[in-house]
Amino acid sequence: MSSLFAYDDDREAASAARVRALEALLIEKGVLGSDSVDAVLAHFDTVAGPFNGARIVARAWTDPGYRQRLLEDTPKAIAELHFPLGMDGAEGEHMKAVANSATVHNLVICTLCYPWPVLGLPPYWYKDPVFRSRGVREPRAVLREFGVPVAAGVEVKVWDSSAQIRWFVIPERPADSAHLSEEELAALVTPEAMMGVALVPSPVP
Amino acid sequence: MFTRFEDYAAAQMLGHPDSPPRSQGKLYFSADWQRTVYGMAMALSRDGHFEWEDFRQQLIAAIAAWEAGACAGGQTPWDYYACYTTALIKVLEAHSLLQPGELAPLMAGLLEISAPARAPV
Repeated sequence: MSSLFAYDDDREAASAARVRALEALLIEKGVLGSDSVDAVLAHFDTVAGPFNGARIVARAWTDPGYRQRLLEDTPKAIAELHFPLGMDGAEGEHMKAVANSATVHNLVICTLCYPWPVLGLPPYWYKDPVFRSRGVREPRAVLREFGVPVAAGVEVKVWDSSAQIRWFVIPERPADSAHLSEEELAALVTPEAMMGVALVPSPVP
Repeated sequence: MFTRFEDYAAAQMLGHPDSPPRSQGKLYFSADWQRTVYGMAMALSRDGHFEWEDFRQQLIAAIAAWEAGACAGGQTPWDYYACYTTALIKVLEAHSLLQPGELAPLMAGLLEISAPARAPV
């Protein structure tokens, strides 16, 4: 557990007891099923989340043919990975991938839509009008503030997700990752890297 | 288009005062009880015991009450899931699924069981 939101022990114990009591009471009354909570949360843990996008990126890194298909027809290439049912809902339709390279850096901003099934729940700042307007007007400055300085010779492309097209970025594969399996590579990929506001770091040796 | 209740319910909160804590695209829980209460509210609404919007309004009111306390000074530290628990209890009471005062004895019993381990020796 992170200590970021650490509370007073007594208060924490009281909160935990209140929730345990409530759960027990509702199960006893037949209002709540004993496995209902786990079933709901499993959706966010296993069906729709950034782990799907990370799998797509890792496959694109390890299979050049897949990467090409992903760029040419993103929904069809995503379907190849047989994600769980429901993955195509929640604004996961009309996806389009763009790839970072030594000469191009892509940044995705959001006016209306955000592809949850691939990127997970959006961060607080993503729909902030200031981020969106500055992302269009001065993307290099915004990227620098995110800790992603883009060299002058690298073109920055900004993509605005909408109901018609929902963009996501295939970041560059990190250096020193040739020895990693597809699963290990997927573990390195963050939602922010798939929005273009972060780079994927090299694995810790 | 949202085809799952879970996505719809979470989406209604984003960008609003009742938006849940999250990190790297996932819901953020710092304790198991937070995860349980989040899932309970969603499961109960999904099963038709109350409208998700009714719960949200209770949550927004609970957060506003905490903020009002903040302005007055001396209130407890910020805890999103404490507000979330308060809102769930209120919406359950409003729908007669829980009676006022019904929870307290059970909760006291649970605290009593755990108290000896925390008592000074």
